[in-house]
This record gives sequence, structure tokens and C-alpha cells, in this order.
Amino acid sequence: MDKASITEGKPIRCKAAILRKAGEPLVIEEIQVDPPQAYEVRIKILCTSLCHTDVTFWKLDSGPLARFPRILGHEAVGVVESIGEKVDGFKQGDVVLPVFHPQCEECKECISPKSNWCTKYTNDYLSNTRRYGMTSRFKDSRGEDIHHFIFVSSFTEYTVVDIAHLVKISPEIPVDIAALLSCSVATGLGAAWKVADVEEGSTVVIFGLGAVGLAVAEGVRLLGAAKIIGVDLNPAKFEIGKRFGITDFVNPALCGEKTISEVIREMTDVGADYSFECIGLASLMEEAFKSTRPGSGKTIVLGMEQKALPISLGSYDLLRGRTVCGTLFGGLKPKLDIPILVDRYLKKELNLEDLITHELSFEEINKAFHLLAEGNSIRCIIWMDK
Amino acid sequence: MEKTSMFSIHEGKPIRCKAAVSRKPGEALVIEEIHVDPPQAYEVRIKIICTSLCHTDVSFSKIDSGPLARFPRILGHEAVGVIESIGEHVNGFQQGDIVLPVFHPHCEECRDCKSSKSNWCARFADDFLSNTRRYGMTSRFKDSFGEDIYHFLFVSSFSEYTVVDIAHLVKISPDIPVDKAALLSCGVSTGIGAAWKVANVEKGSTVAVFGLGAVGLAVGEGARLRGAGKIIGVDLNPEKFELGKKFGFTSFINPTLCGEKKISEVIKEMTGGGVDYSFECVGLPSLLTEAFSSTRTGSGKTVVLGIDKHLTPVSLGSFDLLRGRHVCGSLFGGLKPKLDIPILVDHYLKKELNLDSFITHELKFEEINKAFDLLVQGKSLRCILWMNK
Repeated sequence: MDKASITEGKPIRCKAAILRKAGEPLVIEEIQVDPPQAYEVRIKILCTSLCHTDVTFWKLDSGPLARFPRILGHEAVGVVESIGEKVDGFKQGDVVLPVFHPQCEECKECISPKSNWCTKYTNDYLSNTRRYGMTSRFKDSRGEDIHHFIFVSSFTEYTVVDIAHLVKISPEIPVDIAALLSCSVATGLGAAWKVADVEEGSTVVIFGLGAVGLAVAEGVRLLGAAKIIGVDLNPAKFEIGKRFGITDFVNPALCGEKTISEVIREMTDVGADYSFECIGLASLMEEAFKSTRPGSGKTIVLGMEQKALPISLGSYDLLRGRTVCGTLFGGLKPKLDIPILVDRYLKKELNLEDLITHELSFEEINKAFHLLAEGNSIRCIIWMDK
Repeated sequence: MEKTSMFSIHEGKPIRCKAAVSRKPGEALVIEEIHVDPPQAYEVRIKIICTSLCHTDVSFSKIDSGPLARFPRILGHEAVGVIESIGEHVNGFQQGDIVLPVFHPHCEECRDCKSSKSNWCARFADDFLSNTRRYGMTSRFKDSFGEDIYHFLFVSSFSEYTVVDIAHLVKISPDIPVDKAALLSCGVSTGIGAAWKVANVEKGSTVAVFGLGAVGLAVGEGARLRGAGKIIGVDLNPEKFELGKKFGFTSFINPTLCGEKKISEVIKEMTGGGVDYSFECVGLPSLLTEAFSSTRTGSGKTVVLGIDKHLTPVSLGSFDLLRGRHVCGSLFGGLKPKLDIPILVDHYLKKELNLDSFITHELKFEEINKAFDLLVQGKSLRCILWMNK
């Protein structure tokens, strides 16, 4: 790839969509992307998609999590343009997924099959780089640093990513489908397969039918769940949900006096075997918990509570044999598990195309925010310029 | 069998015997003469051999208002007995069998009883206030005025005779000493079950147990038998540590000696990031929060065994949960009584399980109120009350 070797070791000038003020449209600007240092890789982004977590951080105007200016985006696929020193396993031209969830492969948790919580890195999600603190690889046209975002920053033509956040994948998978596997779909499938390990014939309730929730549905469908109830305020989600295996639909706005969990308990005798919360609201996590059957019901929390509120559970409800757990990235170890998901897609076992409802060019990125906010899109693929 | 002739004298008729009756909240139990009616269909009348006091009995003896307050009542639910007579439709039990009455039901027919994943008998477990399983508030106990006396958790073992539904009865080997057997009808089984079945503690794990009563110590014993590497006990009473060593505890934390630090911080320091499993065996929401925070991110599991009488909700940090932690609760350690208790009896008979160290005191039935004092003052673990022969 001659073009890559031209820029190797030098900064690249390219376009990025920058967050300068909370809640305001991203601004397409020319930026400079420094070459990768040791253990880093510079990637040319092929396409990226918008996830609710981007939106959450886009709106934050104060507090320790708010940083400006910043390049958001963390669900993407790219091609390696150049590598830094001490980078094994990646070379120019590799098709890769940058992932927000780290895997150092050396700490006790990375080595253990029970956990995906890399203790070396997971406690820090605010630095700009993994090994160089707040140093940034991005500079705007005035030479000012631009903050990274959860070690990915994919709303740019080029980004620099630590190898702990990089997964090499087969070049055979269509890149737009691959991008989904770097966040939402991996989270949903992982939650269904690895964290819950749903048995054939189970009843499952899914709160929130966005990309994560629909991926959970796909995952439990493939495991043979008998009844998959989807809970969402948007009735349009039921039609699309059917394509992922959802058999019943509950719209909380139409429950009248009853709570969602009461409705679900009526539909399932005493309660579902598994419930998944895929939104990020403590009140819904509590409903998800109460929707499960005593004795063996299990609730899996995937949503990030938007206001960091605690979850309140009835002590007797818990004592009667229920379990609640949470997970990031569906309990998956990115470098090990994402290639497995790619493989299953290539074997035509996974329906992922229906998750892509829109496509835009990079310059139209702000439209993607509108589409997601209006509830009209599942995943909108944003294509970088060739 | 001489005993059979003695039982058949009373078969089908009420028995006059002694019971310790709870007449007023917070007051001493009164030893009185009562009548115990014969067992109806699906019931069994048992002669109690010995019984022990559990904190749940103490809690209920104090409740003075609300739906859980019932007087007069015969408390007691940890016991062993021998069958005096059986009602109709009773299969699998006969006169002379050594049995454990258990508070936790096991109907063996409902979906949950048939599933290996659950011990929450959907048929019976949601009702814990009726006097009998199949006859509602009918009581088999009458006092000397002919007034009904309330049952307790379908056992009522503070009585020389009691009537128990077969869903609450487990037949055990007559080889196990009866006082050790009685322990398996509640607290000790709960603790071992929590370690083995609910948590599934594996070799080399690190474990923290909050509350070193019989349940907490039994969790330690269960973890020890699974080969846990480090078993930390948390209790306000320093005397529990010496006792705890007999059950496998390797370290001890007294919350009053933690200074500025929270218990969970101390535990994280001791274990390089948190324990694999934590168990709450007291029933205090604030302790549950600590137990939850004591586990390591990514895979930590908290098991809740205790409950407070106000049923205060449990509050968990959502990010703490999201970072890969599990919380679950269980009654009776997730065990199915009829299947699992015989397995524990077998472990004891093979000298694999330490039950003897749980018994710190022995009294006669008439001295039952002393047993309450000993437990409340933190001086006893399990006090065995022997019925008159």
C-alpha cells in the first residue's frame, strides 16, 4: 500500500467531526493525527456508526466526564495505516475493529475465562491514551489538543488506537456489518450467550429494542428461547423486532395502571427466566428484576445508568432466589470473541443486516444524531470518504 | 419395636403434651400443656427428639404488630423427630422413621421442584403464614382452654409433638446423631448450600462472610471443603474468630477496628482487588452494600442470605454492577430439602463435614428461655434443647 508508506512516521492531515460544545452539532474540521507511538496503531476508518453512548457523552456539559474539544465515536471498522514499535500481530493493510473495551492479555482477569474486566486498564476510561496519559494524538488547525473518546475516537478519517483496544478480523466480512461488532452487537450477543447462557425453551424479556436489545434477541433466538418479549415505547420496534425473534411486545405506555413487571408476570405465569435491561435507567432495571421468576430468575443489566443512579431491589424478592448481574461488552474478551462472531456471520448463522437502517456520508454525520434521537434508526452507517 | 406400640396408642387421637408457647411479643415462652390433633391427609405427626434455636425464631418472638405478628404461637423450626403416626395419602414415611421437619417446602411436583435450577417451590413457597399447607388457617394445636395456637413456618418444633405436611419433611438415616441432624434442618444447610450450590465456590477462591452465626460459619465450612484459598470472616464479636478457625476461616475483620476505612476497602486491600465471593448472613442493607463492594470487578459474586425485618430495599451502584458483578439471594442455601439434606447427612457420616463444633450448649426443653438469652447475648452458636424422653 504505497499511500500508507508515504505518511508513515509523519502526522496526517485529514477531516474529523469535532464536538466543541455540549449538545451542538459536530463540526467537520481539518485536523492533524500524529503517528502511532510504541504499542499503538494508526487506522484509516472505513465506516463508523452512532451508538447511544456517543449521544450521552455528546450531551454532557459539565462534570469530570465532560471534555472539549473531543472526537467521539467508538463503533467502527478500519484499515491499519501504520504501526508503532513493539506492535505484534498487526501490520499495514489489516482490517481491524477498534473497541472501547480493553484486553491487555496479561493481567489475571484477561487470563481467566471467568472475566472480561481487564484490571490493567478498565478502571481508566478518561485518559487520551493508554500508556501516555493525557497526551493526545489529535491536534486541530490551531495546534490545540483534541481529546480522545474511550480509546477509539472513530468520527475521523484517521485515528490512533492502543493495541489493547484493537481486534484483527477477517477481510471477508462486509465492513458495515463488521463495524456493528465493535460495540452494540457484540454486547448483545455476548450477554445472551456468555453472560446469561440462555437454555432452549426459556422465556426472555428484553427492555429496550435498540441495537443492543435486538442483538440480545438474535442471541437468545439462536439458543432456542421459546418466548422473547420485547419492551419498548416505540411500536415501530415490534415489526423490526420480529425479524430478530421477538414473539411478544409490551408498550409501557399502554400498560394502564399495571407496572411492566406485573404485565410480564401475567404473560409468563410467574415471571420470565431471564430479563435484559438495554437502556440505562435504574427504574427499568428494577422492573426487569421484578419481571423474573422467583427461584431462578436472572436479570442482566447492559445499560449504563444515565445519571449514575443506584438500583433499588426488594430484599425479599432477592432472597427468593433471583440473580442480577451487570456486564460491559457482553462479557466478551474482544480479541478472542469478536473473530468468533465474525465467523458465525460468515457462516450465515447471524442476521445482522436488518440492524442497518440508514447510511450517510461522513459530512452528514449530524443527521445520524437526529435519526437516533427520533427513534427512527437502529444503526446508521457513516461512510468515510474513500 | 416397643416404640411402635406406644405410638399406636395415640394413633388417630389427639395427644396431650407440653409445648413452649409464645403468648406475648418479647416475653418469655410459657411451658404449657396442649393438645395436638392427629395428622390429616398428607400430614405426619412427629415426636420431637431435640430442637435448636435460630435467630429467625427470636425475630418472630418479638414482632408486635403487622401481618407477621401472631399470638399465641409455637415457634421453633430447626429440629429432628421420629414419626408417631401418618395421615392418608402419605407415601415414603412410616411410624418410627427419623425425620427432619424443614421450613422450606418441596412439593416435588411443580415446575420449580422439577427444575435443577430452582428451590423455590412455586406451589407452596410464597405462603409462609398459613397454619397448614392444605387446610389454610386450621390449626392442629389447641391450648388448655381449647383455643387455637398458631403454627410457625409449617414446623413448630418447640413442642413435644407437632404435625407437619409431607412437603416439609425429610427422611434421614438413623445413623447420624440426632443433635447433629437437627442442625441440618435449617442454619447449617443454608450456609453449606449457599457455598456449594448458589455460589459454587471453587478451589483457590477467596471468600468473605459477613456475620459469623451458624449460617455464616456453615458458609465457611462449605467454602473450606471446596478448597477456598482465603476465607475472611466479618463480625463485631472477636470470640467468633476462634470458633471460626474450626470452620476454615483464615482471616478476621472486626468492623469497629477498621477506623476510617470501610469494610470493603479493608477486604480489597487484603485480597488485591476484592474477593471472588461474598456472603451476607446478617440481614442489614448497609452490610449488603459492603459485601457487594468487597467483590472483585469482572467476576465477583455476592450471595444474600440474611433479611431485615423491615424488608428495607437493597441499594446497588449501577456502575459497580455493570462492571461484571453478580448479586443473588437464596433461601435455604438453594437446596431442595428432600434431595440435598440426605447428601449432607452422608458427608457427615463420612467424617467430611464438621457439625459438632456448631453445638456450644445443651439444655432441657424447660430451660428454653435460657437458650433465647444465650443467643441474644451472643454467647451461643447452637443450643440443643432436649425434649423429655
